[in-house]
Amino acid sequence: MARSIFPALVAILLASRLLAGEISPVDRDFFESKVRPILVEKCLGCHSAEKKIRGGLRLDSQAGWAKGGDSGPALTPGKPDESLLIEAIGYGDASLAMPPTGKLPADTIATLTEWVKRGAPDPRLEAPAPAKRVIDIAQGKTHWAFQRLKPVPIPSTTASSWIRNPIDAFILAKLETSGLGPATEANRSVLIRRLNFDLIGLPPTSEEVEGFVKDPTPDAYETLVARLLASPRHGERWARHWLDLARFAESHGFEHDYDRLTAYTYRDFVIEALNRDLPYDTFVRWQIAGDELAPDDNLALKATGLLAAGVHSTQITANQVEKERYDELDDLVATTGTAFLGLTIGCARCHDHKYDPIPQSDYYRLVSTFTTTVRTEYDLKTDPAGDKARLAVFTRELATRQADLATFEATTLPNRFAAWESTRSSDAPLPPEVELILKSPQQLRTDGQNDAILRWYRGIEPDWLALRDKVADQTKVKPIPTVVKALISSEGLPAVRLHTQGGDFLDKTHFLKRGDPNQKQEEATQSFLQVLMNATESKWQAEPPKGWRTSYRRIGLANWLTDTNDGAGHLLARVMVNRLWQHHFGRGLVATPSDFGTMGEKPTHPELLDWLANQLIENGWRLKPIHTLIVTSAAYRQAALGEDSSNTPPEQNEGLFRGRPKQRLEAEAIRDALLAVSGQLDTTMYGPGTLEMGIKRRSIYLTVKRSQLVPMMVLFDAPEALQSVGLRQTTTVAPQSLLLLNSPIVRAWAKGFAEQVQAKSGQSPDLAVMWAYKIALGRDPAPDEKSDGAEFLSGKDAIESSLIDFCQTLMSLNEFIFIE
Amino acid sequence: MPFDPHFIATPSATSRRAFLQRVGAGAGLVGLASLLTDEGFGASIPNRSLDPMAPQPAHFASQAKSVIWLFMNGGQSQVDTWDYKPELLKRDGQELPGFDKNTGFFTGQVGPLMKSPFKFTQHGQSGAWVSEIFPNLSKHVDDMAFVHSCYTDTNNHSPALFQINTGMSRMGFPCVGSWVTYGLGSESKNLPGFVVMYDTLGRGLPKGNASNWGAGFLPGVYQGTPLSAQGSPIENLNPVLDDRHQRKQLDLLNKLNSRHQALNPSDAALSARIESFELAYRMQMAAPEALDVERESAATKSLYGLDNPKCVHFAKQCLMARRMVERGVRMVQIYSGGMDNERSWDGHADIAANHRGFALETDQPIAALLSDMKSRGLLESTLVICCGEFGRLPLVQKGGTGRDHNPHAFTTWMAGGGVKGGVHHGETDEFGHKAVIDRVSINDLHATILQLLGIDHTKLTYRFNGRDYRLTDVAGQVVKPILA
Repeated sequence: MARSIFPALVAILLASRLLAGEISPVDRDFFESKVRPILVEKCLGCHSAEKKIRGGLRLDSQAGWAKGGDSGPALTPGKPDESLLIEAIGYGDASLAMPPTGKLPADTIATLTEWVKRGAPDPRLEAPAPAKRVIDIAQGKTHWAFQRLKPVPIPSTTASSWIRNPIDAFILAKLETSGLGPATEANRSVLIRRLNFDLIGLPPTSEEVEGFVKDPTPDAYETLVARLLASPRHGERWARHWLDLARFAESHGFEHDYDRLTAYTYRDFVIEALNRDLPYDTFVRWQIAGDELAPDDNLALKATGLLAAGVHSTQITANQVEKERYDELDDLVATTGTAFLGLTIGCARCHDHKYDPIPQSDYYRLVSTFTTTVRTEYDLKTDPAGDKARLAVFTRELATRQADLATFEATTLPNRFAAWESTRSSDAPLPPEVELILKSPQQLRTDGQNDAILRWYRGIEPDWLALRDKVADQTKVKPIPTVVKALISSEGLPAVRLHTQGGDFLDKTHFLKRGDPNQKQEEATQSFLQVLMNATESKWQAEPPKGWRTSYRRIGLANWLTDTNDGAGHLLARVMVNRLWQHHFGRGLVATPSDFGTMGEKPTHPELLDWLANQLIENGWRLKPIHTLIVTSAAYRQAALGEDSSNTPPEQNEGLFRGRPKQRLEAEAIRDALLAVSGQLDTTMYGPGTLEMGIKRRSIYLTVKRSQLVPMMVLFDAPEALQSVGLRQTTTVAPQSLLLLNSPIVRAWAKGFAEQVQAKSGQSPDLAVMWAYKIALGRDPAPDEKSDGAEFLSGKDAIESSLIDFCQTLMSLNEFIFIE
Repeated sequence: MPFDPHFIATPSATSRRAFLQRVGAGAGLVGLASLLTDEGFGASIPNRSLDPMAPQPAHFASQAKSVIWLFMNGGQSQVDTWDYKPELLKRDGQELPGFDKNTGFFTGQVGPLMKSPFKFTQHGQSGAWVSEIFPNLSKHVDDMAFVHSCYTDTNNHSPALFQINTGMSRMGFPCVGSWVTYGLGSESKNLPGFVVMYDTLGRGLPKGNASNWGAGFLPGVYQGTPLSAQGSPIENLNPVLDDRHQRKQLDLLNKLNSRHQALNPSDAALSARIESFELAYRMQMAAPEALDVERESAATKSLYGLDNPKCVHFAKQCLMARRMVERGVRMVQIYSGGMDNERSWDGHADIAANHRGFALETDQPIAALLSDMKSRGLLESTLVICCGEFGRLPLVQKGGTGRDHNPHAFTTWMAGGGVKGGVHHGETDEFGHKAVIDRVSINDLHATILQLLGIDHTKLTYRFNGRDYRLTDVAGQVVKPILA
């Protein structure tokens, strides 16, 4: 043995000496002056332990290139023709070409070739071990979004006459720094259309436009804002924005995509909460732990539908049980992190977050919050007071009837029996045991015999039978509590079970190496994101009362999320006011509404964002005052920049909120607007929805079934309801136009619109054009529009049919769906 | 390739310049219709925000420009089709030692090894062993590259379907077709860039339904367009008005929209929408023409099997696929078989009858597609892929003569643009149970598909909720040995 190992050892030692040790001064100089700078500048960015190791290849050491990457050793010393590295930089083979940014200059290639030819002398024996990134929580807390809110002074500006409220001071201050001024104020017919769509998602009627345009009162605008915010339509409009974040749908997804027939109750919660102006912190707390915080409040129970809204595999095989559950838990943490905190917590599932100060351990501690949470169908009592009253009436009546029966049995029945016995004919056959008792004289009968004989006798006594039946009848009408089933999330209740070869949840949450359920580590106990903690987790955690069925872990999360002293409350407020701003201006103060982390955009107006967040908290977390502040600002009331915008390149206006770019309505608002002008909109609120696009109710009542998304919604960029979406895409594609041109449903709406117009205009083409513009666009037609319209309507076709064509055309206009 | 969702609200200088060049002070909007007929003009402005389907340059030159993915839905059995295992003949009826009973779906019905009911013979110059159920396809083996060592992570249909389509077994991620059209756009103006066809015999959609061709977090425009099995294949394609009335309507619409546009000259989204109506108008004519297989010669129709009642449904779809690819559609995916067991390749009960039946439905049409495309010179620019969502066990499923699911091994073959023909990559063990040599994950398969289309899978990214996503997540190795 020793003899055979020895030569091998010598060989290895010799090899390493040859490869690394003995570099002549000339070679060393060549490497240091020529080769190393090329490697550093062109290669190590992607091929070093310090940066990245693309393709498994390290060029930061002799050992690195000798071992090579996925395609084998990078080079063969002395043989450039056999070296992958040289082939790659030669750009001969497109799939191999390196560096990807472009072919190196010829002299650089020559240098590297020469280096390989010389035997690739390389003094860098071993590369430094990759530096393990350790997340520094204290350092992480200094990121702008994680800092505490401070009181914000309102900036002073020159053109102060423009300012209507403090928002404007912040906007103007930045504009002035950029040497620009705000755009002029939009006219009233533009403003009412804008406000209507922003606040309630429906166009104003021609009467509403006229009323507002002519309203002489100084607070006409504020009155309009207040009216729209008080409208039940407001909740329907804004609930849709929230449902995007909640990845809300009414089916399970996966294999069978079974319906969740009672999931609509969460949608109804959101609408009602927004209409009621439920404080945002409560809104959040209830969605996390409504069943624990207010178990008798239906709205709070329905709120937990957020946690039930994600996908759930409808068929889970034995060896997928753990993976599916961890996926589901991931969805809960990712969704709540994104929607509430604008953080990509889900990125820390397999490793520490790459950019944000979220260690992997924080992720699993947070996940453990939901360990025992399941979706369940729960009977919500919809009329508890009525139930109680009805039960009282029932109980009283039952008691009366029972008392009547008892009284009869105690007093009347023995007398009746005695009378019967004395008059009975002995011919009628009686049961033998009865005969036996009757044969013995009355005074010799035992109590038992008396009871038995009475029990038999009452069966032939009509009055007793009638009284008995009255009791029985009453017990049959015991009132059932009025309930509606709701899909909620809770613990300790039967889970909605589909086809699974496992349990509904795993008893414990473990830390998982690389996110792999097959690589469990110790159990993860609940905590929160350290970067947003100025106390230990026990500050927020609570103990459930004895005998209570849930763990109260979700209360802990809700407490931490909304704590403005030591928890995540300040970030929560910032993220929400930014969302409101985004939907009013088309762009957030932070352009990445669901990423407030270090890779997200920085706020264009950090002070304004903080000022608004402070306002939200100071207003008791109510959202309507924030809406009011935003839409009554002068900044919001600006007109589009229009033609004069050519003086300022658009990118210069980016993030200044100067002027008002047009915004295309979302899918739901387009459909609602079409329905509204058709005169057919049905404003029935709440309850189960439908997949039929042709119904007359608002689009928020269209059922979201994951495998059968309503085609019109998808066409106009409604999300797939699989992940939290804070910002929809806006695309323009031909199938949208095909829908407006050819859908029989759209055609029917156009017909309804035409009938409305005709009712007002009779056979007059001029009047028809005028009314069509008023109804569809809230304005009068310009002279050339008038003449074009009249010409269209005076062809050889009957006005009835050409008016439908005309109305459909107005419904297809850019102006109809791009709101100024 | 970042996609900026804010783009439309605030056009960048380039797009604005492009727009102004396009509409031009002199040309005005009246000229738009004529500009639109100039396909090349559209192609020269690869701005995906104005036209999200505008053709985009690839990362590097590639032969394949489009993809036809033939999906053997339900899970084709590798050991009965392309992965010949003589050992199974010898060991028929014996237990497979060490078998994990949770591998398949029916954990209580694990039977012994079962030989293939089909004969295998060698074909072509490359001598590939092929099951007798593919008498036509076996003539094309020298054009096919076989990857015998594919594996996936789950043993159930919908997660496995999601995984092979999106790279993730969870729901909510963009599928290959969405990534490809996001990356490359489409050369077709009149047809959707990514088309899906599923069973037309009423046997249902693949499990997981439309999520298999969903765009996930990518813009909805990149999702697959499924052709309706009945009625108009594309929604809203049939005009509600006769041409004269519709043209009159569109002329008025153009006039009014143009006037509105003139007041907002820098708003490129408005002009994009004006164009989209004209495009829609043309699609009404062009799309039915493209999908009309009756325009083909009798010989072609017969070649595909339009006169063969066993396969006419799939034959039509293959022929439609060719017509679409010819017209610049970027990707077509066709599912063979429907949803329930035995109504797809999911042969739990009787592998012989099941696979023989589905082979009869697909063998002639796919073989015809390869021949037809080759003779037209289309094959070299089209990547043809054929596989299912997983393979099947070499064991019999107790209670019948079928086979249960097997995530550990399946065969994928590719042909056409950039693919080296007659190559076999990777191997399974002697029973065809597990991929053991040169294992190819779904990420690897996806990396290879993108590579063949000229896309570097590590560079095609999309930022969503703070993260740059890829089709191949953080993995994926291109299977180089099958590249021509």
